Amino acid sequence: MKALRTLFVSAAAVGLLVIGSAAQAQDKTIKIGALFPMSGPGSYFGAQDKQGVELALEQLNKAGVNGYKFVVQYEDSSCSPLPATQAAKRLIEQFKPDVIIGEECSDATLAVMPVVEQAKVPLLNAGSSSIKVTEPGNPWTFRIMPNEVMQGINLAENASKRIKAETAVLLFENTNAGIGNAQVFKENFTKHGGKVLAEIGFGRDVNDFTAIATRVAGLGKVDVIPTYTLEGQGLKITQALAQAGVTKGGGGNAIQIGTIWLPFGFEAKAGKAALGYIRIVQFDPTDTRDVAKNFATAFKAKYNADPTHLNAHAYDQVMLIADVVKRGGKDAQSIRDGLAATKGYSGVTGSVEFDKTNQNTKMDTIHYMETKPDMSWTSLKWN
Amino acid sequence: MTTTIVLQQAINGVVLGSLYVLVALGLTLIYGVLVQINFAHADFVTLGAFAAYFFMHLVGGGYILSIAVAFVVGAALGWLINAAIFTPLRHKGNELLPLIATIGVSVMMQNLMLAWFGPIPYAFETQYSSEVIRFAGIFVSWQSVIIIIVSILTIALLYAFMKFTFLGKALRAVAQDRETAGLMGINPNYLIMLTFVIASALAGMGGAMLAPVLVLTPFAGTSVIVKAFAIVIIGGFGNVEGTILAGLIVGLIESYTTQFLDPGLIDIVVFALLLVMLAIKPTGLISERREENV
Repeated sequence: MKALRTLFVSAAAVGLLVIGSAAQAQDKTIKIGALFPMSGPGSYFGAQDKQGVELALEQLNKAGVNGYKFVVQYEDSSCSPLPATQAAKRLIEQFKPDVIIGEECSDATLAVMPVVEQAKVPLLNAGSSSIKVTEPGNPWTFRIMPNEVMQGINLAENASKRIKAETAVLLFENTNAGIGNAQVFKENFTKHGGKVLAEIGFGRDVNDFTAIATRVAGLGKVDVIPTYTLEGQGLKITQALAQAGVTKGGGGNAIQIGTIWLPFGFEAKAGKAALGYIRIVQFDPTDTRDVAKNFATAFKAKYNADPTHLNAHAYDQVMLIADVVKRGGKDAQSIRDGLAATKGYSGVTGSVEFDKTNQNTKMDTIHYMETKPDMSWTSLKWN
Repeated sequence: MTTTIVLQQAINGVVLGSLYVLVALGLTLIYGVLVQINFAHADFVTLGAFAAYFFMHLVGGGYILSIAVAFVVGAALGWLINAAIFTPLRHKGNELLPLIATIGVSVMMQNLMLAWFGPIPYAFETQYSSEVIRFAGIFVSWQSVIIIIVSILTIALLYAFMKFTFLGKALRAVAQDRETAGLMGINPNYLIMLTFVIASALAGMGGAMLAPVLVLTPFAGTSVIVKAFAIVIIGGFGNVEGTILAGLIVGLIESYTTQFLDPGLIDIVVFALLLVMLAIKPTGLISERREENV
């Protein structure tokens, strides 16, 4: 009887040990809060970001990283400052993340930055271009994507030297990112001897761009039209400019150009109106590096679709966090420090190395593409 | 500034104004008969747009027929929602309940459409949107021509229905005095239902007309509804003629503000006009006694 009791107690002790170890193993998770627009005009960002994140999680959680698994909680930040701030507070108070990824829209990211700084949780951004995100800088906010100045300088130089443009009309949404992108282009295009004929800003509630296209048509010879807006309005602008006979797609001479705003697939939706559109994308599907090829293959296998740059940069955000965890990151402070110490990381969108303002300095994240007559696109390899 | 551009912007303004009128007419009809604001009207517009889109892309139907489909879908949904939600609430005797319910219906419809159709913008292309007529420096797409023709036909048919048919006259009687109309043998509940059906059908049709113009997402209708409300107020709440005039004026304001000022100022100009109207002529552009509005 005594032997039986000893056996029972031993078994119970072993059982408790096993349960304890399992609980400890379960505790080894890196909690990622995701602030993505899931509603409103920017909700296409959120839908595509989520695909990239889910693919990264699937790959990482097969074996874990340094014994850590990754969990993500999504919050709808609506591409807008107030809902983004509320979503960030909700995440921090309830989910207690080790790191946050997102937002896409600059106004929303700028609103969230003081909240994460106060909570001392790192924010890894891949979609907001406003220079204000990293200038003057915030120790808790990091940005993978090239900012509006990096993109604008590059775009203006290419407009002048490669497209040989002499005149431009700027079309932009009236947001921090829209206005900022347009101003950077204007400053640099002018430095190259170009002339800006008009700067036309508009709200996100504008639907019909025929009146704007008419105004552009009345401005005389226009070589390039840098356009900074979300996909939905971008489609309508492109079609209206073609209808007005301004751009190549409508029989005119002007070429629409732009920075990282529009996903792949835009040209197919816009139809022949998009002919000749040259724009920066954050991911080049023709990239021959293994990391890019493997991502494209895995994405196609999971979703039966080709990845967009939004899919790619969301994937990169999670993979960079995993890289930091591999280097010893385990909580908010160590992940922040690990991000700051990142050197020569090679992601799907390009390389990552942050400067003292936490801006990625690598220009190989800028890829140019041009819409061809059959509505497919070609990589221009300008960088 | 050339005459051509001024004329072109006038055409642009009339096309845009016609679209606004199609959306605003349903709002003003419901207010005229029920003295109720329908906050879900925008979502009937969106649903009409999606009905037309899927009719074209899944069934393979033509665009003109898709306008009729959107009209029918809007009417059916208007009947369903009024019967299932608004009528029972109206019978409770509290006028606030159906008003609040319209907000609930709006949020519910937006999120249902978000779940069904997803957030990524749809490209609603018709054979008419890229075909452009050009003459003397002026351009007009066939889509714009269709918008103007359908708008004129709709307004004419609605006018004829209200003035010359028994149902139209009965509807105006209910708008004038619901209780007295009931004593005369007119069933007010039936006519309220008819009003909802007509307004929702117009919204659905407006959606099909707007779809190639606006950015088609589950939130598409909300982008025009604020302007539609402004038009209804400027024109005179419940006043059909005033709504038509105000719609065209707002369309022209948008075009000329874009040309001569800045598109970023459009809302400031439109809503400044609204405030001026509220201050100096709150009855709207064409003032009538309320009972004669519809």
